[in-house]
Amino acid sequence: MDFMYYGDILIVDLEAGTTEEVEIDEAWRAGPVLPAALELFRRHAQDNPLLLGSGILTGTTAPASCLGFVLGASQITGGPAVAPLDMFAGAEMKLSGFSMVLIKGNSPDPVYLWLHDGVADLVDASPITGKDTWRTCDAIREEMGEQLIQVVSIGPAGEAKSDLASFSINYWGSGDNAALGALMGAKNLKAVALRGLGMIDAEDPEEFYNRTMDLLRGSPSKKGFDWVSRGPEDEGIDAWLKPLAHRHRSCFACPCACNTFVKYNEDPAVMGSDGVQEPGLMVTNPAAALWLRQGGWGAEGACRAMEAMTRAGIDAVRGAREMSTGPLEDPTEIAAAVEALTGSAGAAWPRGEGAGSGIFGPRTPPQGSEDRWLEVNRAAYVLGICPLFLVTSGVELSELLELCLPAAGVEVDAGGIKEMFDRARA
Amino acid sequence: MTAVRGRLGKAERDPVFERYRKAFLFAGPNEGRTTAYPRVAVYTGSGASHSWIWFADLMERIGLYDITFIVESDMSSGGLDGFDFLLVGGGDTYAMAESLGGDGARAILRFVGDGGLYLGSCAGAYLVLTGVDLEPFTPFRLVTGEMRNVMPDPPKPRCLDHKYLARYGEEWVFHPVYGEVEVGPGDAAAGFPCFDAGATIRAPLFGGPIMEGAHKDEVLARFSGLSDRAAFLWPRGDVLRLVDGRAAAVVSSIGEGTVVVSGPHLEHPLFPGANALAAEVLLRHCARKGELGGGRHTPGRGGDKPVGGEEAESLAREIRRQVSNARIVAFGLEKMPVTWRIGLKVWEPEKVRMFLDYAWYRLPFVAKRAALVSPGERLAHLAGGYGEVTQMARSVKARIESGEDSQAEAELLLGTLKELTAAFLSVYFKLRLQERTGLPEKPRTS
Ligand code: SF4
Repeated sequence: MDFMYYGDILIVDLEAGTTEEVEIDEAWRAGPVLPAALELFRRHAQDNPLLLGSGILTGTTAPASCLGFVLGASQITGGPAVAPLDMFAGAEMKLSGFSMVLIKGNSPDPVYLWLHDGVADLVDASPITGKDTWRTCDAIREEMGEQLIQVVSIGPAGEAKSDLASFSINYWGSGDNAALGALMGAKNLKAVALRGLGMIDAEDPEEFYNRTMDLLRGSPSKKGFDWVSRGPEDEGIDAWLKPLAHRHRSCFACPCACNTFVKYNEDPAVMGSDGVQEPGLMVTNPAAALWLRQGGWGAEGACRAMEAMTRAGIDAVRGAREMSTGPLEDPTEIAAAVEALTGSAGAAWPRGEGAGSGIFGPRTPPQGSEDRWLEVNRAAYVLGICPLFLVTSGVELSELLELCLPAAGVEVDAGGIKEMFDRARA
Repeated sequence: MTAVRGRLGKAERDPVFERYRKAFLFAGPNEGRTTAYPRVAVYTGSGASHSWIWFADLMERIGLYDITFIVESDMSSGGLDGFDFLLVGGGDTYAMAESLGGDGARAILRFVGDGGLYLGSCAGAYLVLTGVDLEPFTPFRLVTGEMRNVMPDPPKPRCLDHKYLARYGEEWVFHPVYGEVEVGPGDAAAGFPCFDAGATIRAPLFGGPIMEGAHKDEVLARFSGLSDRAAFLWPRGDVLRLVDGRAAAVVSSIGEGTVVVSGPHLEHPLFPGANALAAEVLLRHCARKGELGGGRHTPGRGGDKPVGGEEAESLAREIRRQVSNARIVAFGLEKMPVTWRIGLKVWEPEKVRMFLDYAWYRLPFVAKRAALVSPGERLAHLAGGYGEVTQMARSVKARIESGEDSQAEAELLLGTLKELTAAFLSVYFKLRLQERTGLPEKPRTS
């Protein structure tokens, strides 16, 4: 499995300030994927571990191979919770040279973890303590000298260990709806920064490349959120955002650009930038926008609120629900309302249990039942492929599973994935 | 993870090198061996660009590890004594000639007269051509040859303006094609395996001389065609008329010594055919030297102290950390629309990562044997040096991002990187040589 970087697992001991690499248990033939992480999570439970990892195909030429994961104990549900490490962070996680990282204990001082090309450094984070997620991302990129560094960070809400805390990926909201951001705060871990210049190789590169290109050619290309909406109450979200929409952006290797960049500090019709430093926000999860729309918010006010929550490191989906005010438009009032949320308690939404099982976001897309959605999510995390793509692209799961052989020399089927999760639970 | 992949890896694994690896494997000072295990000097001093690394790379691929990286002051102070090959790559020929001066020229002449081999490509070729007869080049004339790529008023180029011209007295040296060209055998290459059955080889021409005037018996390779993998600064037909049949590489014997000059970079790592031509020249020189009385050199055994176990490991880790940090910044630099002119040479930002990559891909080998590095301070020097390089690269990048001039910082960065890469490769090749000659594997612990 050398091809896919599968090999050692990095163990970071925050209390001792040390790092070491250990071999993965050979029984995990599919490498250090999510079920293996769940087992490790249980084994190291006394150290309150936080794990980051990727899937077999993450970071490859397979379509939508953007998915990695973050796993830790949720202070809301009390059990293990999984959040997606998507956009470009999952792929960069793999490229950073580590397939899985287990972070145990709490650091006496604020630190961030810098993973690069198989090197792990714990860096003093006191200069960025208290900063919001945008400034944290800027500061780390500036310190390390590269804008392509992927920064998984927490803001003031995470530092305050708020139930609403969520880690951000660079400047944008993540699918952490189980307060894993608060776990980072409890560990005094301000961020994990990722970058690697390695190449991900395959066991049979030609076969793998040809197959993935065929799949990519056969995949539909879509934009916006409407195609992932669940039902009548979700409809029209694209039209609602349209006056502010500037562009759509996909995650790593995905042909469907569901993330929508909106501009409200600058004319969205301006293609580039007319000098405004922070023209708007990338809406990465439509659930927050939907909730605010249902509460009567206008698109601009809602987007400003989502920005403020993302910067504070608050899960915008749950934050939107907890917001005690009615619809707002004034940026100062919005900022005050969001600030009032920092440090507050809140519930996982809508199902803590789902989060613990590896659910990608709190919303089930229209296709199939919740059980089916859970099954898809499990396969998605093992493969490292976005589950939204899996259920909407028309690409068969079996076609993606078959890629594991030319990719990494392992055979994986749906039954095998079930067994992996059963074993992790045992 | 650290294996070199892609086109470079494929070129490195080309079977063409096997013949030379075997030949040099059995070379050595011991009884019964017909050729000496050569000792190689690679010029990295003033005027040398990055291409000297390609020579080091080529030596490694053909199994020659006794390599020393020298600068101008080494040459003039008798530093060429005991070497078998002197390799001079591309760069700024004026800066090379000026810094080497009369003393350097005399040292090279003495070296060749004593039976050494001089192999110069691109700038290293211009340096010793008789046809380059202006100051400061006059003392260096070793090989008969005129430049065809010189005229008082060259036509305007179609692209790559910054690569096109270099002042030559009242005239201009110009480069009408930049990239891959084809070369076929000259009379001096009779029986060379790389030209078997009339084959041509591909080699990159990055501003090297297009030559004529050498005796027919001394022409090693002639330009024989063009390639789509090149930029044409002149119309393609005009380029062909200029280069076709002209000498691309010339070899000449001076006493017991050999001088080889080549316009194209025969040492470029992506051109195994061209590499084979260079290797064949080296091998033939060695064979001739063997017949003439044996090797000039016996590899010495290092007597300095390594730092030993844990400290060495931790220093190796620090080198890895800093090279990785610097490479990450260098990758970002590559996307920036900037070049730096140092002397006559234009440097692109990707050269920064190129230097770092040569260390990066060799680091696992060094790290595994860090406890053998002697003197151990070399590791500390490298760790500190790469830490400085990381800071310098960040500062260059920050200046570019904020629209400030980065010339002075870039010059310092590239100069430091050049020295550091030579220092790193010295450590690396010493370890390779120790393995080859079976020198003590176990360090003396301090
Ligand atoms: S479908 Fe959306 S969330 Fe999934 S990979 Fe593509 S862009 Fe990312």
